[in-house]
Order: sequence, then C-alpha cells, then structure tokens
Amino acid sequence: MSKNKELISKIGLRLDGRRADELRRIRCKMGVFAQPDGSAYIEQGLTKVLAAVYGPHQVKNRQKAQHDTCIINTQFSMAVFSTNERKKRPRGDRKSTEMSLHLQQALAAVIETDLYPWSQIDVYVEVLHADGGIYPACVNAATLAIIDAGIPIKEYVCACTATLANNEIPMLDISHQEEVLGGATLTVAALPMSGKIVLMEMSQRFHLDHLPKVLNKALEGCKDIKVILDEAVKNHVAEMGSSTGWANSRT
Amino acid sequence: MPLDHKRLNGPEESVPYELFLRHKQETVEIKTLDEVTKDSDISREHPKIYLKTGTVSQAKGSAYIEIGETKIIVTVFDPKEIPNKQDYSLKGEISCEFKYAPFSCTKRRLHQQDNEEKRNSLIMKKALESAVCLHEIPNFQVAIHSLVLQNDGSALSGAIIAAGVALAEAGVPMFDIITSMTLEICRSNEIDSLRKMTGQIQVAGEKSHYGTIIISKLHANEQICQVHQTGFIPGDQLKNYITVLSKSCDSIAAIVKKCLLKEVVNHIK
Amino acid sequence: MPLSEAEKTFILHGVDENFRQDGRDREAYRPMELETGTVQHAFGSAHLRLANTDVLVAVKLEIDAPFPETPHEGKLEFFVDCSANATPDFEGRGGEDLAVELANTLASAYQSRQAFDLRKMCILKGKKCWKLYVDILILECGGNLFDATSLAIKAALHNTQIPKIKAVNIDGDNIEIEVSDSVSDCEKINIENAPVLVTLCKIGQHCIVDPSLSEEQCTVGSMVVAATKNCVSTISLLGSGSLHQDTLFQFLDFGCKIANRLNEALMETLANISVTNENVGFLK
Repeated sequence: MSKNKELISKIGLRLDGRRADELRRIRCKMGVFAQPDGSAYIEQGLTKVLAAVYGPHQVKNRQKAQHDTCIINTQFSMAVFSTNERKKRPRGDRKSTEMSLHLQQALAAVIETDLYPWSQIDVYVEVLHADGGIYPACVNAATLAIIDAGIPIKEYVCACTATLANNEIPMLDISHQEEVLGGATLTVAALPMSGKIVLMEMSQRFHLDHLPKVLNKALEGCKDIKVILDEAVKNHVAEMGSSTGWANSRT
Repeated sequence: MPLDHKRLNGPEESVPYELFLRHKQETVEIKTLDEVTKDSDISREHPKIYLKTGTVSQAKGSAYIEIGETKIIVTVFDPKEIPNKQDYSLKGEISCEFKYAPFSCTKRRLHQQDNEEKRNSLIMKKALESAVCLHEIPNFQVAIHSLVLQNDGSALSGAIIAAGVALAEAGVPMFDIITSMTLEICRSNEIDSLRKMTGQIQVAGEKSHYGTIIISKLHANEQICQVHQTGFIPGDQLKNYITVLSKSCDSIAAIVKKCLLKEVVNHIK
Repeated sequence: MPLSEAEKTFILHGVDENFRQDGRDREAYRPMELETGTVQHAFGSAHLRLANTDVLVAVKLEIDAPFPETPHEGKLEFFVDCSANATPDFEGRGGEDLAVELANTLASAYQSRQAFDLRKMCILKGKKCWKLYVDILILECGGNLFDATSLAIKAALHNTQIPKIKAVNIDGDNIEIEVSDSVSDCEKINIENAPVLVTLCKIGQHCIVDPSLSEEQCTVGSMVVAATKNCVSTISLLGSGSLHQDTLFQFLDFGCKIANRLNEALMETLANISVTNENVGFLK
C-alpha cells in the first residue's frame, strides 16, 4: 500500500489541491434539450454527463408490461472520445451493461413506480467526459432529469465515491488520477434524507474496521450533493416559474 | 471487424503485388466528355451487356448480367413476413445484399461484408425501393441477394439492373423498368490498361476533376431514382455527365425490355 | 410524431407562399450556435446546435501505418454515434442505420484530395502517418442532421491542433517518432476546401433547405449535396423517392449556391471565434 501514501500530503492536501472531505465543483443544468420529457447536464469536476428521460409512455415490448408498476429502462453510454484513449464502442460492452443495471437499481428505489401501471420510463445517460466517478455523476444527472420530467420521486437519490488514503483518512469524490493511484474505491448511492443506501459497490479491499468511517464519509458526500442538487432544482423552478409570473407573486 | 475464424482467412497483413509491378504496362487513351458527346450516337457508348433471366432454379426470380467483363448473379426470393417486427406495417420492405465474391476483384475480398459492400447494399436498396410497389406487399419483405463474380467496373449498376429483371421474373409488382449506369471521370486521358474498366463509361476529366457517378433511372416518367457521386467535379460539368449517363440508361432500357419479353414468350410456350 | 394529412397540407401551402411554419423563407436556415474546443480529451472539437439539432464532434489523432495502396496519405475515419438521448428509437442498435448512412456520406464527401488533402497527414512515406478519428455524437435530432454535422466537423477540424514531429529515428524496422509536447507547437489543418453538406427537400413544387422534423415528413424527395466553391464532391439521394432530371439539376444549382453561402458564413465565424477559457458548453 505504499502507493496510497501519495494520495494526501502532510498538510492534508490532495493531488488536485482539495482537502480530504471536499467534493469537486458541481455545476448542473436542467432542461438542456427540448425533445426529451426531461433532461439534465451535470459537471463534477471534469466528469461531464448528459441525461435524458422519456416517458412515462406505453411499454415498447408488450410482453414485458407490468400490471402494477412501471418499467424503468436505462441505457448507459460513453462517447468514444470521453476517455483519454479512444474507445472502440460507445456501449454494449460489459461495463456499460453493468452501469445500466446499477443505474436502474438506484432509480427504481426512488421513482413512485406504482403510479404508472402498464407504462415505461426511459432514462438515457451519455458520458461526454470521464474523469473518475462516472457512476455517481450518472445517478445525479438522472435524478435531475427525472425531476425535470416531472416524474414523482420519494426523495433525491445521490451517489458519491470515497476511498481510504494513507490507510487511515477517508477521502471523498475520487478523481480519475486518484482512482489510478489509489486502492479501494467505495461507490455509494443513497437516499440522503432518510439515510438509506440503495447501492454500494467496492473495488479492491481494505480492512473491515475502516468501512464505517469511509461509508460515513461517502454518505456525507451524498448529503452535500443533495444540497447542491436541491438548490439547482429550486433555481430552475424559480426561473421557469418567473417566466409565467407566479414566482414573483411572493415578493 | 471481428474475423470469422471458421473460415480460412488468409494472412492478416498482405500487400497487393501490383504495387511492385514495374511501370511498363501499356496505357489506354480515354476520350473526353466532348468527344463522347460529339459521336452522333451516344447510346453506343455504354458497354456491351448480356442479360439472362432464370439462372438460379431455387430462387423465385433470378438474373445474370454481364456488363463488359463484369459478371453478376442476382436472386430474389418470395416475399416473407418482416422478421422481428411487432406492428403491422402498411408498406412492404426490401432487403438488399450486395457482395463481391472473394475472387472477383484484384484484391481478395473477405466473406463478410465490408464497408463498401454495405454502402452499395444501401444504395441498391434505395434505388429499388422506388421501383417496387411496396404498398402491394404490406408487411412483407423481399430479399434480394447479388453476388459479383467478376468486377470490371459498374458492379453496383449491374446489380441494380439485374435485380430489376429478377424482381420482374419473381412476379413482384413494380412501377417501372429500372436501369442504372456508372461513369468514371479519370484524372488524365491516358491510364494504365490495368485500370481500364470495361464495364463502365470512362471519360477523361479536365485538370483535377475526377470522380464516379452512378445513376438509376425509371423510364416511363423519366425519373432518376438514385444518384450517387464521389470525387470533385464542378457543378455545371456534373450536369453534362448526368445527361450522358441518363441517355445511356435509355439505351439499356431497350435491352432490359427485350430480355423481359423473351422471358414472357418462353413462359407462354 | 407522424403528421396528419391536414398538417402536411398546411406545411405545403406555407412552402408555396415562401413563408414556412416558423416564418422562414425557402432559403433560410434556422439559428445556429457554434462552440469549439468543448471536449478536453480531444485534439479538436466543436459543438453545434442548429435549432433543436445538437451535434458534438471530437477529433482524435493516432499514429498508424498508411495503406499500402496510398503510402503518401494519412487516414481519416468517421464514426457516428446516435445517442439514445436524441430519441428512444436509437436505443441499443436502433440508430445504426442512420449512423452508417451519415458516416458513408461524410466519408465520400471527404474522399477527394481537393476537398481534404490527406497527404499532409503523412509522417514517413509508407511507414507512419496520422490517423484522424472524427467522432460524431448526435445528442438531439431536430431535422437537418447532415448539414449540422458537416458544419460541426469543419469547425472541429479547424480547431484541431496536430502536434509537430520533432524527430524520426529509424533503426532497422523500428521507427520511433518524437512528438513535440508543447501545446503551442502545433499545426492547424487546412479546411478551406472541406465540403459543406446541404440537404435539399422538395415539397410541392419548390425546393427548401434546412428542413425541420415535420418538413422532413412532407418531402417527396430529398438530396444531399456536398460542395465547396462550386465543386461538388458528393451527391446522394436520401430515402426513397425519385426526381426528374430537370429537378435534379435545379437541386444541384441550388445546393451549390447554398453551400457557398454556408461556407462563407462558417469561415467568417471561425475566423472571429474568440478563445475563452470559460467553456459555456451545456450550462448556458
């Protein structure tokens, strides 16, 4: 684990100058496109993700239709130019399929699926630029897009990564550079308001004793992200509302 | 492209030997467009064509065509339901496959379709879609397969002409006779005899203008149903080339008609 | 959304009156927004938004060996990816047909040496050359994909910086190439003659440019013309449908005229495009 030592300097700064518990800058925008029912764009550091939501609409493959809930169909796709080395295919490989499944799992936990029997919601995410923490960015973008589409959800679902630096300090929001250098990466998708975890995934290993603190750090990160997303949604709604006039009636 | 490992694929990397040939091949002179159009009868300018129907007995309709040295076999199978389709569609579909036989060109072709073949399949499909009465075969698909046995220019045009005849023989309802021709504009008026293609019209271009033009034509209403051009040609020149092609298509129509008539006569006998 | 007969008639009458659905005349384009250098991982990139059509183009470079047939030339490859974000129909392999058609048209438009000179991409004759990957990502379809894509590609190529070669060491069959790693030490690509694609649609008796999605449904025949400076590098009919020869010629003239106009506008925009560090991207 000698490599891990370089992750955080003696004065507590990371390679990109952040502190251990700091997120990268998050910038987001809802309603980027006109044609989908909901769309969102999010930048977490250099990682950039576009999400689009279509539906709820009639189920495409009629045999799959469910009488009591709606189907959530997700597709994860990465632009061929998103990584440093050019990718051969934008989707269809094992990693993208896994990502799609995980995304679906996270979204199924929050969407009020029983409101839409016999229907389907399509969620498509497109990674434009990959710099670590792709899955969290996708989940956050998809959440915003679903809110933009006006689909009722129980609460925000946010995701965040964390790792253990120097074998003792938990570190938040891992960039690609740190991913390559460092050891284990814990990815958590959670419902920050109720504190529930919908998805937890880890690569490589560290001692079980470290898990609680790293997990707590990741959950804190999810909560921070929730605050940022919440503000973005409120701003967006106020902006949309002000064009119709009702937002101004408060003052 | 993933290789089909059940077949003998040949070496992974190879260089065509023609590149190392000493340049002493004879050169052939090529007429310019003005000289071609000056000839009183442009119709003679198209390459020699031999067309025959019913060459493949298993298929519903088939045709064999020779344009110059280019030889192509086209088969058409009965309309069958469109596969993997859930909704009923009011229009029929055409599926086209254009394939060079591995031995047909100077460079060996693989068994799988490469990009050029896929592109040609698409062009062929577009051309034939406007010739077939798709509304008369709702929810059905007609499969057309063309195999180029020897390529000496205008393989795509030949495939389109032959496909038109094969479709007619198969009894697929069509609007019109479809013909097609390829014209190549060469960089200079003298080229290697190796590059002389007997299957297509070759004219010499001016300065740096060159390219290939393929058109397909439906004759009753003088409609051009497909046109594809590559190269670099000034707009007004391009029109002249298309006019020449269109005229040579007209003369091919006569051959197609004769062939179809023969087919009908044989059928009645 | 399929249109009803009445809606189609409405559009047709609009075209007849030279006053289209959105108030344009027959020769007018919808507003466009162009941004270059949006993708950091790429050597050059551009993001173009033509009304509701959204295209992102990135150019990547790799060192490769030239084809034995063309030892003096580099390689150019177009890859189109229709993102499912644009329409659910593109999910999985649904967008592949359109992607292949678009990539083929672009490849044949850029095939000619006058349009795009690949000889400049050669590093060492027969051994090493640059391979340009032009990756096109379609994020939203609002009609007229071909025109938007070709403009975005031209802008992305204009934005592309090819690193200069510092030294080539030949040791038997081993060839080592030293590439300059300074950002300022780069070459630009000459894109003056790179073709611009113009889609022309025949609606009723007239020919229009820049069709919107609903206008695309009303057309009886449409054609793509790739042209630069009155020279045509590709023409191709789109979809099924046929045209009379005279109509075809009329299309050709019209296409060349529009292509010239578009090209001038693009070159002027590219010359004046300001280099800002703050990329606005999708956040605007």
